[in-house]
Amino acid sequence: MEKNFVIAGFGGQGVLLAGEVLANAFMLDNKNVTWYPSYGAEMRGGTVNCEVVMSDDEVSSVNKKEADYVIVLNQASFDKFECKVKKGGYLIVNTSLAEQKENRADIHYIYAPISKMAVDLGNVKMANMLALGILLKVGGFLSVDILEKALDVVLPVHRKNLLPLNKNAMEIGYKYDLLVAGC
Amino acid sequence: MVECLAGKKVLTKGNYAIANAAVIAGCDCYFGYPITPQSEIGEFMSGKMQELKKAYVSAESELAAINMALGACATGKKAMTSSSSCAVSLMQEALSYATSDELPIVLVSVMRCGPGLGNIFPSQGDYNQSTIGGGDGDYKVIVLSPSNVQEAVDLTYKAFYLAQKYRNPVILLADGLLGQMMEPVEFSEYPYPEIDNSSWALSGAKGRAARIIRSYSPTEDFQCEHIRHLFKKYRIIQENEVMFEELYTEDADIVVFSFGSLSRNVKATVKNLRAEGLKVGFFRPITLFPFPDKRISEIADRVDKFLTIEVNMGQMVRDIKLAVNGKIPVEFFGKPVGSWPSVEDIEVAIKGAMS
Repeated sequence: MEKNFVIAGFGGQGVLLAGEVLANAFMLDNKNVTWYPSYGAEMRGGTVNCEVVMSDDEVSSVNKKEADYVIVLNQASFDKFECKVKKGGYLIVNTSLAEQKENRADIHYIYAPISKMAVDLGNVKMANMLALGILLKVGGFLSVDILEKALDVVLPVHRKNLLPLNKNAMEIGYKYDLLVAGC
Repeated sequence: MVECLAGKKVLTKGNYAIANAAVIAGCDCYFGYPITPQSEIGEFMSGKMQELKKAYVSAESELAAINMALGACATGKKAMTSSSSCAVSLMQEALSYATSDELPIVLVSVMRCGPGLGNIFPSQGDYNQSTIGGGDGDYKVIVLSPSNVQEAVDLTYKAFYLAQKYRNPVILLADGLLGQMMEPVEFSEYPYPEIDNSSWALSGAKGRAARIIRSYSPTEDFQCEHIRHLFKKYRIIQENEVMFEELYTEDADIVVFSFGSLSRNVKATVKNLRAEGLKVGFFRPITLFPFPDKRISEIADRVDKFLTIEVNMGQMVRDIKLAVNGKIPVEFFGKPVGSWPSVEDIEVAIKGAMS
């Protein structure tokens, strides 16, 4: 079995980090996994995305035309990636920064005001971990526990103080009552 | 970042993995000039080499970087540089000198796209640059082509070993995709023996006669003899160091060739087609020099057709045609630059070649 994930947003939203945490979680779960980034020259504000591929066998390709799961954290990413969700796949939309609109009838749309939820939690930067929590609930392919362990692996020593807040964000995302539309 | 963690997997970016492997392989000196998509190698080395009290120099140009590495190699130290495409072009003269001077330099070349400045998109356009080269004279550089991050680590170890063993430059030919992607890897101990270089290294002439390493030849006979000596060495390399990966070639009607990280996509496609019952085989040269011509020629004796897939306009396909020597048709499928052909695209190409 092979599944791929795209996480997209603007620079500064922690898109690459979220992908790195997800990829580490699959590694800890003894899967084969790859992580591949795509970004412009900007450090902050430009569009950025990464693709994570998880497989029981060798990963077939790291950069695919379509994805099983896509998280879009802003409107530009929604516009770019809505068409790249595999038929029957899932598009998780941050409705704080992207409109709630279904242009396709063959995919699942999952809506959550991710940025607002992060602000309510006390830090807008938690949007990426909230989104991962939601992804896990939608997909059910990993436990929150493994995701939290992966976060611990990824965070450098001088950022370990942020671990509880990030874990909290993942759990809130995981417990969020999903609003699903589409097929 | 880790150094050596045998038995433990860590998710690591290709460039960092190569740099870390170079440290484990005992690299004493790193000289470099930044260029995307390989800058993380220099970034990693800038911290790690200082920490280990080894040499790191951010050179003023690529020309300077590789010539510094040549100088360090001449003293018997393990030295490396890393760069990409248009900047590796600037290093061709030094590679020619390094082969003539028999200096064991390791060059990590992470392909972006050319010609000229091109752009940072991944490509496989530097197969010719690596295997043929743009330096003057008759020379060969050992070229290793990893297909995933773990292999990039293992072949970095091997690059240092082969360079020392044969006193010849080695290019580790990666690409932007491999350099930028992350994958779980394990860093074992350096698995090769250390090579004694006390018979030639310029280590200071105290207590012994002075030595000179130079590529200038005073006479025609001397130069003739020198080149013959080099080619005797290349023949030994050709006989002993060929590496390749081969799958389902025993009963194949067609065998599909690729190198580097694109091979992942090609191999997956071949596996899918086998599951459909199509008799497709897969072959990947790991050493681009020495090229596995002998094995490729053997396979050509019992297969109808070869197909070569590359992200360039057809470079390795020439070496395959030379190995096949007209025995069977060799077709090519490729694109100039950018995202690797998908499994779906490759499937169409293979089925097209079979029809």
